[in-house]
Amino acid sequence: MPTQDDEFIKQLRETFSVEAAEHLQSMASMLLELEKAPPSAQGAETIEKVYREAHSLKGAARAVDLSGIEAICQSLESVFSEWKRGKSTPSPEVFDTLHSDLDEIHALLARAGADSTGGALERGNRSPGAEVAPRLPLPIQPAPSQLVESENAAVAATTVRIPIAKLNARLLQAEDMLLVKAMAAQRAAELKQVTALFDQWHREWAKVSIEARILLRSRKPDPDAEIGAQPIAASAKLAHFIDWNCDYFRSLENRLNSLATRAKQDCQGVGKRVDDLLEDSKNLLLMPFSTLSVIFPRLVREICRNQGKEVDLVIRGAEVEIDNRILEEMKDVLIHVLRNCVDHGVETPAERVRLGKPERANITISVSQVNGRSVEIVVSDDGAGVDLERVKDAAVAQGILSEIDARALDEPDALALIFQSGVSSSPTVTGLSGRGLGMAIVREKTGNLGGRTSIESKRHVGTSLRMVLPLTLATFRGIVVSADGRKFVVPTVHVERAMRVKPQDIRTVGNRQTVSLQARIVSLARLAAVLELPPKTNHDDAGVAVPVVVLHSAGQRIAFAVDEILQEEEVLVKPFRKPLLRVRNITGATVLGSGQVVPILNVADLLISARTHGAPPGAALPGPARERSAPTNKVLVVDDSVTSRMLLKGILESAGYQVKTAVDGVEAFTALHEDGFDLVVSDVEMPRMNGFDLTAKIRRDKRLVDLPIVLITALESRQERERGIDAGASAYIIKSSFDQSNLLEIIRRLV
Amino acid sequence: MRNAQISNARSAGPDALRTREILTARARALARPYRRPPAADQAIEVVDFRLAQESFGIEQTFVREVQPLRELTPLPCTPPFIRGIINVRGEILPVLDMKIFFELPGAGIADLHMVIIVHAGDVELGILADVVTGTRSVPLNTLQPCPPTLAGARMKYLKGVTNEGMVILDVARILSDADITVNEEVPS
Repeated sequence: MPTQDDEFIKQLRETFSVEAAEHLQSMASMLLELEKAPPSAQGAETIEKVYREAHSLKGAARAVDLSGIEAICQSLESVFSEWKRGKSTPSPEVFDTLHSDLDEIHALLARAGADSTGGALERGNRSPGAEVAPRLPLPIQPAPSQLVESENAAVAATTVRIPIAKLNARLLQAEDMLLVKAMAAQRAAELKQVTALFDQWHREWAKVSIEARILLRSRKPDPDAEIGAQPIAASAKLAHFIDWNCDYFRSLENRLNSLATRAKQDCQGVGKRVDDLLEDSKNLLLMPFSTLSVIFPRLVREICRNQGKEVDLVIRGAEVEIDNRILEEMKDVLIHVLRNCVDHGVETPAERVRLGKPERANITISVSQVNGRSVEIVVSDDGAGVDLERVKDAAVAQGILSEIDARALDEPDALALIFQSGVSSSPTVTGLSGRGLGMAIVREKTGNLGGRTSIESKRHVGTSLRMVLPLTLATFRGIVVSADGRKFVVPTVHVERAMRVKPQDIRTVGNRQTVSLQARIVSLARLAAVLELPPKTNHDDAGVAVPVVVLHSAGQRIAFAVDEILQEEEVLVKPFRKPLLRVRNITGATVLGSGQVVPILNVADLLISARTHGAPPGAALPGPARERSAPTNKVLVVDDSVTSRMLLKGILESAGYQVKTAVDGVEAFTALHEDGFDLVVSDVEMPRMNGFDLTAKIRRDKRLVDLPIVLITALESRQERERGIDAGASAYIIKSSFDQSNLLEIIRRLV
Repeated sequence: MRNAQISNARSAGPDALRTREILTARARALARPYRRPPAADQAIEVVDFRLAQESFGIEQTFVREVQPLRELTPLPCTPPFIRGIINVRGEILPVLDMKIFFELPGAGIADLHMVIIVHAGDVELGILADVVTGTRSVPLNTLQPCPPTLAGARMKYLKGVTNEGMVILDVARILSDADITVNEEVPS
């Protein structure tokens, strides 16, 4: 049971740790400033400030009885005082010591904060202080502290410290009001629908209104008509009711109309207020970028010293305000990026001199508000840039794309490859490894925040990474789809297109399904299967077009078959919390206007999962995972034209075949003996040994007699075709009628 | 205590023997282990609920609120004990099905009408219940260890069982258990 005193001390220490963190932060940045500019110059003012900071921290530490921190501050103070009097000039080593002293205070703080009990604090009290103090010059008399304290008091008067958790709770409540807004809109729309029902009444009434008028007129008793007085009296009563009923309905309609109008006005009013409330609540959480970036100069300095590199870090636009939740998420990302910059981007000073660059490298972080809604963070360096060839090689080695595709890639596309995590994990690109992996994380994190990432790089000139983020954790547009009767939201930015695919356009190639999309073959997976939803039996209702969303991320795309594509909505991401730290394939959830809670899909995950789960039941693992899966078919492509060779290789590889190439019949025949193949695709006209001769030779070979051979040729005459078949070709395709799905279909039949 | 009082009343007698006897009795009374009185601070307030005909209790200190289960969104790619997610005042919380932990019959959702929102530390989630019967005070001294047959491997999630057979869940333990944490990357 904590006593009241304990409770008080605990509170006091919490307050202290917040204050101390601020002092430490500003001391750290001032030290960096001083290191850049010698204290003799304009540094005098900074020295005065850093001295005061140390002094106030010392005083505060004494007040909460943390003598360890107090002792370190004492020694810091004495060093600064020496500088003040110009008695010593700081060397880089001294700065190192000072920084590590600050770290020590951090550590002491953390230890003091970790356990609120007195016993643990005493540990913090004693040990390190004693070691630290003797390292530095002897203490001098502390200066009076009033001046500093009064400064602090002035700041306190205009600002209130509120824990972020409390502000977050406010924001959540404000966000929840969006539901109220949506419901109001729904009610107003429903009322409008009800009023529209009167149209039908009007139509029906119009049909009988003439009869009704006759009836109403006849209601007046006709003195001449003697007979049938009784029925007339009855019908008069009825006519009276109809008359009344009509008026009654009209007044009901009027009232409903005005109610609907007012509901609409209310809805707009509520909407406006909710939007304002939400906007203001979001603004409460806006914090300057500097709250995040203060730690960067030290970070960069540390990495540089470890690696023997020299970097000037420039931060521009640190005053731009961004949603604290985004800043929190971006912290790790930016640390990663900066580390990569120094690690892989910046060259050693010697190397830089050799390249004719200034010895000190430059890293710039510039933050700017792009428009009212987004903010751009650009991290650029003047280092070595990205080696595109190595990235391409890595991507090919990883089976992310074929060699032919790699060669065809233009610079921006090739650069985009480094956002794929696979590229980095390859052992062949050690120099780039850290960078690639980091970039995948960078893209995933910014993507989750509703942002975009792009990179520009020039060899030996530098790299700049551009991240465009929403200013606040805003709503984003999402497409609502259903799979096995459940709804899911896909962020619209990841949807390349939504369409319907006829069953006959779905091809089964190898062991997976594909659809052709703008002359490219795209894998098709069932969303329900990828999400591991319990399988349903009656799925293939033949003949009906299947709704499909083509999702893309980091240069990859896969088509996902769904039950229905429902609507596009403005959605607000609600992140999961403990114990749901990370759920496969799902980033979070959102609440639709109807109040329904719907999971938001993680497209990057889905694309990976689709390769392992999306295959039809019983099928082996397709695509890049093939090394591990059932044996894939090996195809030998023989063609003397490099273009045709690469084209065929690309088509076959993307269909899941393992492909080797040969330039003519002779080379092909040798290859067939060295390695086992399941099929040969060969051109006819080739130097040394043409396709016909190759075919004949294969057929004469005992070991190869059953090997399927597909001949592809420009020779269209029947004679030629017959000659091919006579030689023993299994299929003969004319180049002019060449169609890749046709080729794949034939190959699939043959192997 | 009562004995002590009685002996107190009699202690007016002058007889030394008698005095010793009284003192012995008093000492004996005082030496009796202090266990009996079910004082207020030794009972726990629990929310009492039914799950597959079994009676369960959750300490009230962990209960944020109890609400009828209106809409539950199933969450794919999560373990079976996570039955889905719900929206509680703008926060999305996972909902746990204790039946799966304790291998109770009736895995269907049809009977589950209520959700108890519990929190401990930084974890907050819903626990499904068939019926919530109310709250009651359970004296700690009536709690007994659970028969091992009941819980199997999930023994550790139980605080004890009362005389009437109500099983008290150890919410702090459940919510801090790494087994309920979902943290999965997609295998690539």
